[in-house]
Amino acid sequence: MSTVSHPELEGIGRYEFGWADSDDAGATAQRGLSEAVVRDISAKKNEPEWMLNQRLKGLKLFAKKPMPTWGSDLSGIDFDNIKYFVRSTEKQATSWDDLPDDIKNTYDKLGIPEAEKQRLVAGVAAQYESEVVYHQINEELEKQGVIFVDTDTGLREYPELFQEYFGSVIPVGDNKFASLNTSVWSGGSFIYVPKGVHVEIPLQAYFRINTENMGQFERTLIIADEGSYVHYVEGCTAPIYSSDSLHSAVVEIVVKKNARVRYTTIQNWSNNVYNLVTKRATAAEGATMEWVDGNIGSKVTMKYPAIYLLGEHAKGETLSIAFAGEGQHQDAGAKMVHAAPHTSSSIVSKSVARGGGRTSYRGLIQVLEGSHHSASTVRCDALLVDTISRSDTYPYVDVREDDVAMGHEATVSKVSEDQLFYLMSRGMTEEEAMAMIVRGFVEPIARELPMEYALELNRLIELQMEGAVG
Amino acid sequence: MTETYTIEGGPVELHRSSFDVADFPLPTGREEDWRFTPLDRLRGLLDGGPSDGRLSWTTDLPEGVELTTVGAGDPYLRSVPKPVDRVGVLTLANATDGAVVLRVPANAEPSAPAVIRLAGNGGDVVWGHVILDIGANAQVSVVIEHSGSARYAGELSVLVGDGAKLKLVSVQGWDSDAVHVQHTGVRLGKDASIASTQITLGGDLVRFVETVEYTGPGGDAEMAGLYIADAGQHQEHRLFVDHSAPKCRSNVTYKGALQGEGAHTVWVGDVLIRATAEGTDTYEMNRNLVLTDGTRADSVPNLEIETGEIVGAGHASTTGRFDDEQLFYLQARGISEEEARRLVVRGFFAELIHKIGIPDLQDRLLAAIEAELGGEPEAAISAVTEENA
Repeated sequence: MSTVSHPELEGIGRYEFGWADSDDAGATAQRGLSEAVVRDISAKKNEPEWMLNQRLKGLKLFAKKPMPTWGSDLSGIDFDNIKYFVRSTEKQATSWDDLPDDIKNTYDKLGIPEAEKQRLVAGVAAQYESEVVYHQINEELEKQGVIFVDTDTGLREYPELFQEYFGSVIPVGDNKFASLNTSVWSGGSFIYVPKGVHVEIPLQAYFRINTENMGQFERTLIIADEGSYVHYVEGCTAPIYSSDSLHSAVVEIVVKKNARVRYTTIQNWSNNVYNLVTKRATAAEGATMEWVDGNIGSKVTMKYPAIYLLGEHAKGETLSIAFAGEGQHQDAGAKMVHAAPHTSSSIVSKSVARGGGRTSYRGLIQVLEGSHHSASTVRCDALLVDTISRSDTYPYVDVREDDVAMGHEATVSKVSEDQLFYLMSRGMTEEEAMAMIVRGFVEPIARELPMEYALELNRLIELQMEGAVG
Repeated sequence: MTETYTIEGGPVELHRSSFDVADFPLPTGREEDWRFTPLDRLRGLLDGGPSDGRLSWTTDLPEGVELTTVGAGDPYLRSVPKPVDRVGVLTLANATDGAVVLRVPANAEPSAPAVIRLAGNGGDVVWGHVILDIGANAQVSVVIEHSGSARYAGELSVLVGDGAKLKLVSVQGWDSDAVHVQHTGVRLGKDASIASTQITLGGDLVRFVETVEYTGPGGDAEMAGLYIADAGQHQEHRLFVDHSAPKCRSNVTYKGALQGEGAHTVWVGDVLIRATAEGTDTYEMNRNLVLTDGTRADSVPNLEIETGEIVGAGHASTTGRFDDEQLFYLQARGISEEEARRLVVRGFFAELIHKIGIPDLQDRLLAAIEAELGGEPEAAISAVTEENA
């Protein structure tokens, strides 16, 4: 049975966003990291003193902290060869027509203006290299007091709100890459949703790296005030170059009493991007935080979105999906920290590995003392499509309280010949059958995605099947 | 000691084993394999040389089973699975008497279990190496019981020959001040099988590392464990099943209950399926039942899989307290709360106890669980280590 090959799946991870635009800004950008680089970024942005100090502190801590020795192979990152800040356009555009042609073409190809035209989104931010180049928000929301701007603008225009929350969820010294991000961050989204406001259609952001050896360090800060709701969606792509780029974002989310935030990521970086991201949310009393985390691209991803359940009856949910093809390692998972009574969390993870790719689930469930009547369930399923791929599961559970219910379950399976045979005997080609099995496997998560992303995911799986016919 | 894990492998793949003490520096407590263990309570097992401490041995051996001693320095003592931590390697270095070998000849099928009772009487650290050498196609049950007070570092080497079947039960019925750190290294031949049950009730600190390796296809490891931790006790069970041969099977089932302030249990189950181990079938499960406040249960199942050509692989871990609904149901049928709790705990452990297949031991274990639930851990210990049962 092991000799049956599955060429129809060869294309998972085949990359269709790999074109590169002309790159004048990137060509002149400085490589390497130093105090001068950090001061220069801060000066270019006319930042207040406290932010410069934060950046310098981040730089010091970054230098001091050792590289993680667990997880993926990070030895390929050459910090001296990375361009830490690339400014591609001087002025932020508010209409597509104002964008430079290169950038506009890129986002046209990604289909963003379409989504906006069809009112599928309530607001859009597009980040190209280090800065947000396009920004638009629904007028209605603006009137309700919803703030949705890029993070640099957030710092300029809402200094008090910004300073109160920046670094409050992920401190500057949290980990090596959070320190790095704090020292050179640029771009990202700053969102504030006032009390009781429900943003019914998602806010979206698109991140694109164009320059070779670029480091993109966006910083996103979302504050959902009491009783509010917002859904934020981000998509990420990059060209294919022969040498590596680095994406190291920090996302901080504060979900206040009875508010709900859903954060969806479809990460489809090209296979030369190291994607090392710190994402964390705090959920107050009665609040709900949901991460929907899709990892399809990148060379290496290490990302474990976290939720700190700080108030009674707070709820956390993470849905994680990962595809690893040839040369890819998706080391993804989730963290839940129960710090109050009656909190609940659930993690569902699905991964597919093929062509020698590797998927790892790495998770942490921590129940602190006093968090009685808490409950948590973790479910991880991995699908191996061939014999050369690998899959690992490293869940970790730490319970310091007796009155809790905790469950973890994992399975690893291969696509069974029986399933294939059954579907093929019903008239399907092997490609169609394989696609159906893979789609069925990821369906519980795909259905949680916004429609256009769910379609995108299905299309991706389907595309791979088509590729095999020729 | 920062290079515990590196690149290609995860923590599971990088399990180390060696006969050289230099490969295992003194742990600081930050290492992956020591981070749960209260090092200050190991009292001399991480360092030091040979000692005068010995456990007293009584044995009950059926015909066909022989007990011999192999002197230190004999190359046979280096043919066993290698130690996996500092305590293990020091045990081999400091066991100046060599090893005690329980040998079952090929094709033998002794009618009764071989029983070894090891009792401590306080005093010096004891370094002990025991080898179970089961010949090809033999079928035998071995029971090892620990009692008394001791600081015991044990290396138990279990060699199961081709086609042999071993049933192994190890009872940790120590006094409340005992420290017992042991590596059980199991090596299974072609078509060999082991059904092992660890029963850990007593002791101040008990730390067991069990490793399983396969030398040919068809090996089958059924590793079970039952533990009850009372106030202040640290009970740690770590397993590493290394699937390197094709068509082997492993199934790990550990269940524990915790009660009393400071009761701490640790279960770590690592399974590695190497690329060569096509057709592997493995499942691991750990369930913890929390009976009172102030306890801590750590449960870490890790799985690394390097081939997709497997029968199945999975693990499950749960930690929870009494199911209120079960209790309510039983109470609604006129059963007192105390009795209902007892029934629930008994039901929780029943699956494991019945699999042991040694009736006398099963009875003693049931009595011990009753005593534990009645808040009498000493009575439980004497029930389970009852010598004249």
